[in-house]
Amino acid sequence: MKIVASGIRIPIHLLYVVVSLFFVLPLWWSLASSLRPLDEIFKYTSPFSIKALLLDRIDVSAYLTIFGERGFGIAILNSVFVATATVMGGLVINGLAGFVFAVFQFPGRQLLFFITVLSFLVPFEAISIPLYNVIKAFGWIDSYYALIIPGLANGVVIFLFRQFFAQIPRELAEAARMDGAGWLTILWKIYLPLSKPVIISAGLLIFLFQWESFLWPLICTRSEHLKVIQVALAGFQQRYTTLWNELFAASSIATLIPLIILLPLQRFYIQGVTASGFKG
Amino acid sequence: MYPIATTLLGSLYAESIVQAGKDVFVGFQNYAQLFRDPVFWQSFWVTIRLNLVINPLQVLLALLLAIMANQRLRGISFYRLLFFIPLGVSLPIASILWRTLLDPNSGLVNSLLNLLGISSQPFLISKDQALWCIVAVATWKGVSFWMIFLWAGLQDIPQQLYEAARIDGAGRLGRFIRITLPLLRRPLLFVLITDTAVNFLLFVPMFLLTRGGPSYSTNVLMYEAYKSGFVYGDMGRALALVMVLLLLVVATVAMQFRLFSQEEGS
Repeated sequence: MKIVASGIRIPIHLLYVVVSLFFVLPLWWSLASSLRPLDEIFKYTSPFSIKALLLDRIDVSAYLTIFGERGFGIAILNSVFVATATVMGGLVINGLAGFVFAVFQFPGRQLLFFITVLSFLVPFEAISIPLYNVIKAFGWIDSYYALIIPGLANGVVIFLFRQFFAQIPRELAEAARMDGAGWLTILWKIYLPLSKPVIISAGLLIFLFQWESFLWPLICTRSEHLKVIQVALAGFQQRYTTLWNELFAASSIATLIPLIILLPLQRFYIQGVTASGFKG
Repeated sequence: MYPIATTLLGSLYAESIVQAGKDVFVGFQNYAQLFRDPVFWQSFWVTIRLNLVINPLQVLLALLLAIMANQRLRGISFYRLLFFIPLGVSLPIASILWRTLLDPNSGLVNSLLNLLGISSQPFLISKDQALWCIVAVATWKGVSFWMIFLWAGLQDIPQQLYEAARIDGAGRLGRFIRITLPLLRRPLLFVLITDTAVNFLLFVPMFLLTRGGPSYSTNVLMYEAYKSGFVYGDMGRALALVMVLLLLVVATVAMQFRLFSQEEGS
C-alpha cells in the first residue's frame, strides 16, 4: 500500500496534517488555557483569533492552586499508586495464567480459555454494579483493595500472554524438563527473557485501563483521601464549573503522565500486539 | 499459583452473574416493572440508536487511520506519534475538554464555525444534537486505540501479495478489496466486537456532559442503571437493567459473528 506517484504527495501531507490537528488542537488549546489567567481564556475564542492558541506569557498560578488548596496532589498520587500496583500484580497473575493456558494440557483447558476470552468482551462497566455487592460483602468498599484487586485479572492480557507464549517452541521447555528444571524455573529462565514486547504491551494495557477507570472508583470509594484523579476531576468540574484554567491544568497533568510512559514505548506496544497475533 | 489466578478470575465474573441471576429468581417483578416503564423503552431505543451509528463509524475511521499509519511517507513516525496522543486522554478528560469546546456561547467549535460563515449550534443542550455530540467525543478519544489492532493486522499482511497483485494489474482499490479486507477479517471482527461491547456500556460522557438529558435524549441504559442503583438506591432495577444490556450485547455480537462468517463463505 505504498503511495508511489510523487505528484500526490503534497495533498497527502495536507490530509495527514488535518487529521493530526484534529487530534492535537483541542489538547493544545486546553494546555495553553491552563497557562493563562482565568479571565483571558475565552478572550480570543469568540470571535476566533489565532491568539487563542498562542501564549505571550506563561502564568502558572492555576498549577499552584490545584496542588495547593485543591488537593489534586493526593488524587494524582492515588492514581499512580493504584495503577502501578495493578500493573505489578496483574503482570504476575495474568502472565501465570497465560503460561498455564499456553504450556499445560489439562481437561477443560479449551473451555476455561474460552470463558476467559469471553470475559474480556464484558467491559468493566457492566460488572461494576454487581461487583459493588461482592466487594461490599468482603468489606472492602472505600479502600485501596476495592480500587486495585478487581483490576488485576484481565482477559485481554491473559489472551496476549497466552498467544505470545504459545509461539515459543515447546521443545525448549521439554528439554529443560529433562534436565530436571521445575516449571517456575522454565518460566523464569526460558519464557520471560523472550517476552519483553508482550510484557510491555500487557503492562501498558493494564496501566491505561486503571488510569482511565472512572465508574468503578466513583462507586467504590467515598473518602476524599482515596479519590483517584479521574473522579477528583469530575467532582471538581461539577463543583467549580467555571474555573477553567485549574480544570485544564489538572487535566493536562492527568494526560501527560500516561503519555510520558506511553509514547517512548509506543514501538514495543505495537510489537507486542503484532507478535501476539491479535486476531480475534 | 494457577488456581489462584483462575479462582480470582472466576470469582470476579461468575459471582457477579450469580448475583444478578439471584434477582431473576427473587423477583421477576423487577423485569415486569421495567418493561411497563416508558422511561426504560425510551432509554432502550436511545441505546440502540447510539450503537447503530457509533460502532460502524468507529471501526471505519479506525481502519482509515490504520491505513494512514501504515503508509511509507516522509515524517510518518511523527504523524503516528500524533495519532497516538488521544490514547493518553481518558474519557472523563475528553468529556470535560469537549464540554468547553462545544459550549454554545463561547466554545471554540462554534467560533470556528462562525469563521466559516456557519451560525452557532446548540450542541449538547439540544435534544437533537446531544447524542451525536457524544458520538463525536467518544470517537475522537476511541479511534486511536482501535487503530492499533488494525494496524498490527495490516503489518501482518505479506508485502509480496501486493507486489504480485500489482504485476497482475490490480488497481489500488482492487488490491484493497481482494487482499487487505479478506486478510484483515479477523482483526476487524475483533475490533468490531470489542468496540460494540464497550459502546453499549458507554457511560462517562452522559454522566459528565448531559446527565442523560436534554429530555432523556442521551439517557442510555447504562446511565439509567447507574441512576437506579446509586442515586435512587434500587439495586434490583439496576441489576435487571444490566442483565438486559448484557443480553443486548450478546445478541448483537452473535449477529456480527454470523454476518462475518457468511461473508467468509461466499
